[in-house]
Amino acid sequence: MVITSNLAYSHMRAKGITTNSEFGSALGSALMLSPILTVYAPDEAAALAEYAGNSDFTPVRDPRNGKLYTIAGSNYNEIVNPLASLSLPGATNWTDKFVGNFSGELNLWQQLRFKTSFGADLAFWGDDGYTKKYYLTSNNKATRSQVYSQMNRSLTWQIENTLSYDKKIGEHNFSLVLGQSAQETSGRQLGGSNYDMVEEDGSKANINFTTGMQEDGDMAVYGGATTPHTLSSYFGRISYNYAERYMLQATVRRDGSSNFGPNKHYATFPSFSLGWNITNESFMEKRPEWLTSTKLRFSWGKNGNENIGAFGYMALTSTGNNYIFGNGEQLTNGTKPSILANKDLHWEESVQTDGGIDFGFIGNALTLSVDYYVKRTNGMLMTMPVPTYVGESKPTGNIGKMENRGLEFELSYKFKVNECNFNIGGNASYLKNKLIDLGNSTGYSNYDSMQGLGTITRAENGQPFPFFYGYKTAGIFQNMDEVRSYTHTTSDGTTTLIQPNAVPGDVRFVDVNGDGKIDDNDRTKIGNGTPRWAYGFNINVNWKNFDLSMMWQGTIGNDIMDVTRRVDISYVNLPSYMLNRWTGEGTSNKYPHFVMGDNVNWQSSDLYVKDGSYLRLKNIQLSYTLPKMWTSKLFVSSLRFFVSAENLLTFTKYDGFDPEISSGGTSLGVDRGVYPQARVWSVGASLNF
Amino acid sequence: MKKKIIYLGCLIALLLVTSCSDSFLNVESPDKESIDEYYNSQSRIFEALVAAYGPLEWFDYSFGEYNPILTMSDIMADDVWVGGADRTDNKFWHLMANYEALPTQVMTNAWTTCYSGINRSNNVIYYMDDVKSIPDATKNLYLSEAKVLRAYYYTILWKFWGNIPYYTKNLSYPYIQPQSKADEVYAGIIADLDDAIKNGGLPMKADGSEYGRVTLSMAYMLYAEVVMYQNDASKYDTALQYMNNIISSGKYQLVSKYDSIWTKSGEWCDESIWEINYKNEGAIRSWGNPQAAGGTVLPRLISPKDWADGTAGRDNGWAFEPVRKETYNIFEAGDTRRNATIFDASKYTYTKRYEDTGYFLNKYMARTGYNAGQKADADLNYGNNLRIYRYSETLLNAAELLVRGAKGTGDAKTYLNMVHSRSGLTDVVDATIDNILQERRWEFVGEGKRYWDLIRTGNAAKVLVPDTYGYRTNSWTDKKKYLPIPQGEIDAAQGTLTQNNY
Repeated sequence: MVITSNLAYSHMRAKGITTNSEFGSALGSALMLSPILTVYAPDEAAALAEYAGNSDFTPVRDPRNGKLYTIAGSNYNEIVNPLASLSLPGATNWTDKFVGNFSGELNLWQQLRFKTSFGADLAFWGDDGYTKKYYLTSNNKATRSQVYSQMNRSLTWQIENTLSYDKKIGEHNFSLVLGQSAQETSGRQLGGSNYDMVEEDGSKANINFTTGMQEDGDMAVYGGATTPHTLSSYFGRISYNYAERYMLQATVRRDGSSNFGPNKHYATFPSFSLGWNITNESFMEKRPEWLTSTKLRFSWGKNGNENIGAFGYMALTSTGNNYIFGNGEQLTNGTKPSILANKDLHWEESVQTDGGIDFGFIGNALTLSVDYYVKRTNGMLMTMPVPTYVGESKPTGNIGKMENRGLEFELSYKFKVNECNFNIGGNASYLKNKLIDLGNSTGYSNYDSMQGLGTITRAENGQPFPFFYGYKTAGIFQNMDEVRSYTHTTSDGTTTLIQPNAVPGDVRFVDVNGDGKIDDNDRTKIGNGTPRWAYGFNINVNWKNFDLSMMWQGTIGNDIMDVTRRVDISYVNLPSYMLNRWTGEGTSNKYPHFVMGDNVNWQSSDLYVKDGSYLRLKNIQLSYTLPKMWTSKLFVSSLRFFVSAENLLTFTKYDGFDPEISSGGTSLGVDRGVYPQARVWSVGASLNF
Repeated sequence: MKKKIIYLGCLIALLLVTSCSDSFLNVESPDKESIDEYYNSQSRIFEALVAAYGPLEWFDYSFGEYNPILTMSDIMADDVWVGGADRTDNKFWHLMANYEALPTQVMTNAWTTCYSGINRSNNVIYYMDDVKSIPDATKNLYLSEAKVLRAYYYTILWKFWGNIPYYTKNLSYPYIQPQSKADEVYAGIIADLDDAIKNGGLPMKADGSEYGRVTLSMAYMLYAEVVMYQNDASKYDTALQYMNNIISSGKYQLVSKYDSIWTKSGEWCDESIWEINYKNEGAIRSWGNPQAAGGTVLPRLISPKDWADGTAGRDNGWAFEPVRKETYNIFEAGDTRRNATIFDASKYTYTKRYEDTGYFLNKYMARTGYNAGQKADADLNYGNNLRIYRYSETLLNAAELLVRGAKGTGDAKTYLNMVHSRSGLTDVVDATIDNILQERRWEFVGEGKRYWDLIRTGNAAKVLVPDTYGYRTNSWTDKKKYLPIPQGEIDAAQGTLTQNNY
């Protein structure tokens, strides 16, 4: 009997800022403010005098030198001086995590083994923070200081029992595994806040150090147990191998989740795979020297997803829907059903079919793998696109079918030149994503939208999910003649202007549906954020005690929708491509003339869509290991020094900050001011005893 | 071997202990109950009724949009301009004001808020059957309140959009309701009001601690508003009867000073029939939770930009809904309503924004101290109640119905002059339709009634025409009576919604 145990502990502290938002992220604000504005107010007395009568005003100063930060002003709506915003104290998040795992394995009888394992993840986390009095803009200010704090605890335990049996009969090898597992996550939360710190001192930011009174309603507290989440599974697997030539493996799982209602807890997921080692066949014995191994693979399987919140299938009571009655302005408690329930909510299932071939050449120094796969997801768990007149937030349902099909290549080559060892590897994958059925009868749904642009992403049957949605443009009207000649002739011969209100300098929109006017029906697919190809390669070189390794990655064919500019605020700083705008006949055929309060030229269109393909040197590392002779004298088995860089070089046509943006879901490929990845240099040493 | 059997036994026991039955996967919420068994007592069904009142407070800001419900019709009329920073600030307000709204550029908050209210009102009626041991009188009272609230929400939808989905039982899968014609919606509203008025046991006026609840007088006023907007002469007699019921109850009377209506102490004065309640003391409405009951953002929307807080007892704002210079001039000399309605900011320093005239809507401007004591976001927590129905409208309704030929008691001229003389004017006017409409114009600037009055009397096309400033360039036509239905609804309704012919 063998018993193993592992225990790990980690602690983390972090402070964060808002990213990828057009409403006041630090980077977004820096892009949009006028470049003439200085970080600090040039004339402090004048800036303070402007707000002299405003009782809500508390100046924000740089804590390092006491200078007053420039106040951007109300022309920028909610965009504020980003350095002022970053200088404010925020919340610090902390996490303590214990992960333990105990397992026991017992050999019951000949090849019959029983293994049980128990794992637990106990996490404590929370945040503590305080706000001091500040004024950034009339919508972003605090007239009282506040301290807030929150503590959470969660325990996830998992138990797994498996029984396995191996048997060999001549050239036939069998292996059978039966198992069962269960998991539960539960937790508690407690948090509170109070107003009016005795002194605005970060080191004393505790709720006990405040003077807010309970009877004034200044103290707030909340908390309780969190909804538990459970999973339970049964599974069985059989593997069969004949003489290392033919391989078969089949698995059946039955998984249950607490996220679904009674009768819908469980779903069954079978899968199987086949393999054929061609080179082990007798007819391949006389193969050429350089063909070391060839294997053909095929697999088919089903798996599931239950990653939604709890109780989507049943309506609970939701309190806090209050109203005020009476002269005394009494807040009276109201309750209503929490959601529109969907009793039929069940597991989302995907079916994946994969076929592949592996080659090994020259004694496996050169290997190549090619795979083709098709994955179909049925019953995707998404918000049902029901009308708002239903009067309640939209329910979650199993709607929609999606298909992903792709081709993957992997190639690696190891070789030696004199004393240098080279190891080069690369992979590339081609992906085609298609939404087969959105689950409603119109077959389309608009998703993200932005102020002044309208809808920017959309899903439609038969198209990649999601795609960018807007007008197609066809240059700029250079003069009135061009406006007058942009006409549409109907079948009965009448000719009308397609853009009758246009002036020279306006964008010429394409009349996609050919009805003679530009309106919402002319919006169409103008790009999408899914890359056609994603690839990477790494190169490792080793010479004596030196090692050099490089990892490159890139994508081809993805678009980025650059919506970092707020077109609904007239006074924002314009991006440099606006220097190439139309200012007279012949000056530009891409960007329109600038008009304050322009509500026509900058609606969602292909002017925003840019090529997001890139190639990036993700990681490069050079290291030197001291010769063993020297280090063994100090009882050190190895000492290695290294210098490395991350994100060192990027090649891309995208003129935004970073083409590797992480927006996903219905916003795939939309850049609202994503914080770029940093170039990191590191130096280090690694010591082994 | 024995050892192994013992081990095996222990491990099998472990397996059995952890063997999962279905009950392992049935979890209970630690802080919520299932709704199906929840409404089983009077206090709980009252909670459902309170939830039906909740959406009344959402119009001014929710779902990312400002749709203060009185303002949204006033900007389409001729007393005020839209204002703001420029034509892209609350762009759909500017488009609506110039009768060029689009399905993708039209107000949607009011649509969502009204249907949320309708959903909650329907729930009160649906779950009432589960309630045990509730006295019949209370049961009828709650049902009537829910019906009147439902009628009120549908009235807003009906006036702005006309042809809307109408349902009295909440929808189930696939959540589609066919569109009803405007007249059918009108019939549904009247049916709800008839039922509530006859069977409800609604009190004529609420007690002090219940101000804000639906009352019989409020139901009467809603009935008259709807009947008169529809120009349904067959119901004029009943409407007049209802107005007379309010007048003869003796519970309401005109206050002597018109400007006192709009202050904090004027909330729920003798003249006030129904208001939407907002509070400031201890209010917790915030940008992150704009549906929390608290204050209102309307005063902040309509006050002058960069105004030094406290000057002349007013605070700063975002300069929407500036009052037109022409509106200042419609008042006769000696009419106290002019200064109560219009605040003249021209002598003070402030930043002039788009369509500035120097005049602001005094009735709902941000008065200094009216958001004092709030605990979240100061902009959202002004305590000004929204005055929906006042006794002066009862008198003017009665006068107009009498002149239009309704049969009943009362003298139109007396009613009209009660309102006329309260304003400080000393002359005596005759009861003609034009005089009554003029009195309504003077009395209700900024109270969301002017636009509907113009439409129902057939004067909209004559009066709502392009102006000399170039702000409004289109004329009102009959097609503009109903706004475009929001595009998101057309898309989600799977072909069952036909767009209005705007």
